[in-house]
Amino acid sequence: MSETFECGDTGALVAYLYEECEPEIRAAIAGHLSRCTSCASEIAGLGWTRRQLEEWTPPVSQLGFQMAVPATQRDLPWWRAPLPAWAQAAAAMLIFGVGLAVGLARGSATPAQISSTQPTAATVTADVASRTELSRLEDRLKSEMMQLRNTTAPPVRQAAASEAEIMKKVEALLTESEERQRREFTLRSVEMARDFEAQRRIDLATVRETVGQFQGVTGNEIRQQREAIDRINNFIRVSQQGR
Amino acid sequence: MTRTDEELVARSRSGDVDSFNQLIVRWERPIYALAYRVLGREEDARDVCQDTFLRAYRALPGFKGQAKFSSWLYRIALNLCRDWMRRQQRAPIAQMPEDVDPAELIARSEPTESIEDLVARRELSAIVADAMRTLSEEQRTAIILKEYHGMTFQEIADMQGCPLSTVKTRLYQGLSQLRRQLERRGQHVPELVKRT
Repeated sequence: MSETFECGDTGALVAYLYEECEPEIRAAIAGHLSRCTSCASEIAGLGWTRRQLEEWTPPVSQLGFQMAVPATQRDLPWWRAPLPAWAQAAAAMLIFGVGLAVGLARGSATPAQISSTQPTAATVTADVASRTELSRLEDRLKSEMMQLRNTTAPPVRQAAASEAEIMKKVEALLTESEERQRREFTLRSVEMARDFEAQRRIDLATVRETVGQFQGVTGNEIRQQREAIDRINNFIRVSQQGR
Repeated sequence: MTRTDEELVARSRSGDVDSFNQLIVRWERPIYALAYRVLGREEDARDVCQDTFLRAYRALPGFKGQAKFSSWLYRIALNLCRDWMRRQQRAPIAQMPEDVDPAELIARSEPTESIEDLVARRELSAIVADAMRTLSEEQRTAIILKEYHGMTFQEIADMQGCPLSTVKTRLYQGLSQLRRQLERRGQHVPELVKRT
């Protein structure tokens, strides 16, 4: 039995702890635990930890979530309930189809075809009536157009005069605006040139100062190096004289 | 007559909202408890719980019953918890709610439990919550799913997308770490357990 469990197999110990292993392996581990104090202690420690976990409880919270369905959908009778999308699409297609058919039927029936079919008294009367009505309508429109021309002619002239004045005003405003823009542009150009010149002078001064410092530093270094060389030369000379 | 989850899911899928509401009543406490233990904040857990059911309702047409409804729900909740933690860019904080007072606990408790026991229980709960913070997210989730939701190793493996052996390792290492943390926080391990 002991072949089925190896001492220190933590995976098997966890399976034993949660009672999620085959009965024969469980028996093998139980047998091992009775002999091995290390594994027995490990299992006891894990069991103790699990008992502590039992005390970790989440706070009681007001939950009570519910999916809400709009009352309009829930309580309406079937004939008032909104149609599903497919039904609405089908209805739209049907209406469109009927309209198309009616339109095609009307469009294909030319006056010649109508006259060639069996004419009835009613259709002829309707045709004649409509022609007379059309001629009357045409006359009335013509007379109204003439009246309109007569009555609106003077205001057109007045409008033309006022338009010319407006145009003059607009031109004046445009000229004034252009002049203002030109002045502002010149002013800004001068300001920019002045700023640029000032910045150039500042930069130049900074560069000169930096170069001067650099030269000073370099001069110092050269002087120090020369002094060091002199010291070495003196040292060599003195040592040669000593010999 | 009590309907099974599968029956309620089938009815919900055909548009019966009342059936889905029954599922909510059945599962809201476990989902809230899971979210609370992972996130550690009551209000966040409540939000995640609500969001879980909303997402589940929307995704219901795509749920073909290949897994248990509860497992599917847990997975949604865990994903939301993970998103929440990523958004917050911080480790979860397991804390005791400040608005819980001992008097309320006493009122809710068994009549045989003394005040001392209640206070001790509350303290231990806070200590455990604090110790759980020290675990990695994977270890903590594995322990929560195993201890509080009774999932099998295989279910946890499916949920976490890892091999079964990894789940066992996470549980073992998590429990061992937890034990050390509890000892460090002054919890007295019985003598028999200490003997190594």
